[in-house]
Amino acid sequence: MSLIVGIVAFVGFLVAGIVYKLYRSQWFWGIVAIILLLSANLIKDPGYLSITYSEATGRLVGNLVDILRWSAPIMLIAVGMVLVIATRGIDLSVGSSMVAGGAAAMQFLSVVKTPDSVSGAAIAVLLAILTGAAIGAINGLLVTYVGLQPFITTLVMMMAGRGIAKVITGGQNTAADSAPFKWLVNGTVLGFPVVILIALAIVTALALFVRRTAFGLVVESVGINPSASWMAGIRPNGILLTVYILSGVLAAIGGVFAVGSVMVVDISGTGYQSELDAILAVVVGGTSLAGGKFSIRGAVVGALLIATLDKTVLFLGISGAATPAFKAVVIVLLCLLQSQRVRNLFTQRRAAATADPAAAPKASVAA
Amino acid sequence: MFNNQLRWGLGLIGAIALTFTAAGCAGTPAGTGAPAESPAQTQPAGDLTTIGFVAVGPEGAWRKANEQNVQDTFTKEAGFDLKYAPAANLDQKSQIDAFTAFVDEGVDLILLSATEATGWEDSLQRAQEAEIPVILVDRGISPDDTSLYATRLAPNNVTVAKSIAEWLVANYPDGGEYITLEGPAGVGVVDERNQGFDEVISGAPQWKKVGAQTANWKVDEGKSVTETFLKSNPNIKFVFAQNDEMGLGASEAVTEAGKVVGADGVLIATIDGTKNAIQALADGKLSFVAEYNPLFGDQLLDAVKKALAGEKQEPYIEVISTTFDSPEAAKAALPDRKF
Repeated sequence: MSLIVGIVAFVGFLVAGIVYKLYRSQWFWGIVAIILLLSANLIKDPGYLSITYSEATGRLVGNLVDILRWSAPIMLIAVGMVLVIATRGIDLSVGSSMVAGGAAAMQFLSVVKTPDSVSGAAIAVLLAILTGAAIGAINGLLVTYVGLQPFITTLVMMMAGRGIAKVITGGQNTAADSAPFKWLVNGTVLGFPVVILIALAIVTALALFVRRTAFGLVVESVGINPSASWMAGIRPNGILLTVYILSGVLAAIGGVFAVGSVMVVDISGTGYQSELDAILAVVVGGTSLAGGKFSIRGAVVGALLIATLDKTVLFLGISGAATPAFKAVVIVLLCLLQSQRVRNLFTQRRAAATADPAAAPKASVAA
Repeated sequence: MFNNQLRWGLGLIGAIALTFTAAGCAGTPAGTGAPAESPAQTQPAGDLTTIGFVAVGPEGAWRKANEQNVQDTFTKEAGFDLKYAPAANLDQKSQIDAFTAFVDEGVDLILLSATEATGWEDSLQRAQEAEIPVILVDRGISPDDTSLYATRLAPNNVTVAKSIAEWLVANYPDGGEYITLEGPAGVGVVDERNQGFDEVISGAPQWKKVGAQTANWKVDEGKSVTETFLKSNPNIKFVFAQNDEMGLGASEAVTEAGKVVGADGVLIATIDGTKNAIQALADGKLSFVAEYNPLFGDQLLDAVKKALAGEKQEPYIEVISTTFDSPEAAKAALPDRKF
């Protein structure tokens, strides 16, 4: 029963997606890749997509739920990254913001030792956000007022951020107990994981802010042509500072998700190489690393793809040694499909075939 | 103008980086001066035995506990003058410099925890010519020419992993399905821990391996991997986590799946024995913790005394590690857990 519901919901989503001119969007192939990966899992286990309600734990259980939960932190850092990249920048320090934010929260919780206090958990989250904002602000200040390359600036902060985390916890993997903090990440509302709701709420709010105000426009204009937008009266410093701080804050919330799910901060592990996931998600989502036009929806699709990929590798039981290669192949294929040149290659061949009807009449029909 | 800005910015970044480096060092044990200087600073002590310790320095909780333990063992009260020279940023060059300085200075004995296994032949030969015995602490060298050093002390990954399989087979003869959470592929420790575990478990066919995946030593990946395995193989009875962190993640996944950790649900065993894991075992979140013991100062002291007396020793001395198989054992160990 649950299997049928799952499949119907999935197919419904699929059809709706196609109807909404998906094909024209840059992230179309990301969706295709997700569907292909899910299909591969479905072949291994026909019950893969089923979602059941567990009476024992009071939560929805299923692989799709796992994928969504795993995607939550990636989604947040990817959305922060997409804004930074749109300004022709890059933020390599998101993984470090995650661990520094997570460390601040866990250290606070382990010191105050109030496992049931909501305000304690709230302060912990606030501390994490402040830490992320501070790292983002340093990035932003160095990029704007000092005029450093974003790559170098955030590379330095990437190293420094993990150092900050080590200083905060004294080099330990701090564990703590806090029911409300854990609920943020592991809890459910009507069986639905809170962490997904929070991530979606944040992303939606941000998307609305970016697209319903002029903010998105100025971000793009700074990315497309800084001098022209300067002459048009846009001062980039405030914009840049804002996107770097936003990126830091979003990463820190991602860090809260990462540490909250297990209630221990892993100084060397939390957020390690997450910046790569975020950049991948952005690229898969169709935003150019050269800056300019960006797509938040694309970044969300990219984050979902990476989460699906991670989980698929596990579900199919691909050996640990082959995992990076498998991921790389999927990403490379996807980038090839998205590349305008590769697409042109196909259209040109088809056009050539059409021009010569005697040679390939069937090809012209296909074209 | 732009150039000036850039230069100023680089300077600022340098300053920031320096600050962080300094802050990072502040937490480490005393004597973190530059390796080359520290031997020169100390004056020859009267009847104290001088020992140079070419160490790894800040690396993680395990290393911190290990090196602190060595320093606490070879104290002035015990008749030793220990010169601690940690590597700068795990850099082998700084270790070789410190090693050479110790040889030139003519210390009585050198303890070496090499950051990298290769490239030690020349240095060790110099020490041999100067008739200074060298004892390897934890890390081995490659190629492993046992004539170049007195002995090596380290816990044995194979034995530690074996102890887990032995516990499992002895206590749960019914068997079932199990999974392994591994460290990153290609790391020696991972192979050794697999080897030890497989040696024993291959003699117990009732335990069937249904999967192995790397979780990169990380908590959240350990959780994610276990969560997915529990979906594809709901009957998993045992999780072998090759380090504490991944095991802690697995524990979360098991609880979330509505199962209990233990004989009635899923058993979880981990290697390392950090404080967090012992605490988790005491709280019933893990089933078994096999220690990879960093605190072997006593054994090291023994080996040092023998080496100074010129006694011949085995090239490898295994450090004894204990295991914790119950919450009670964990609770007893918790109060003075050092790492």
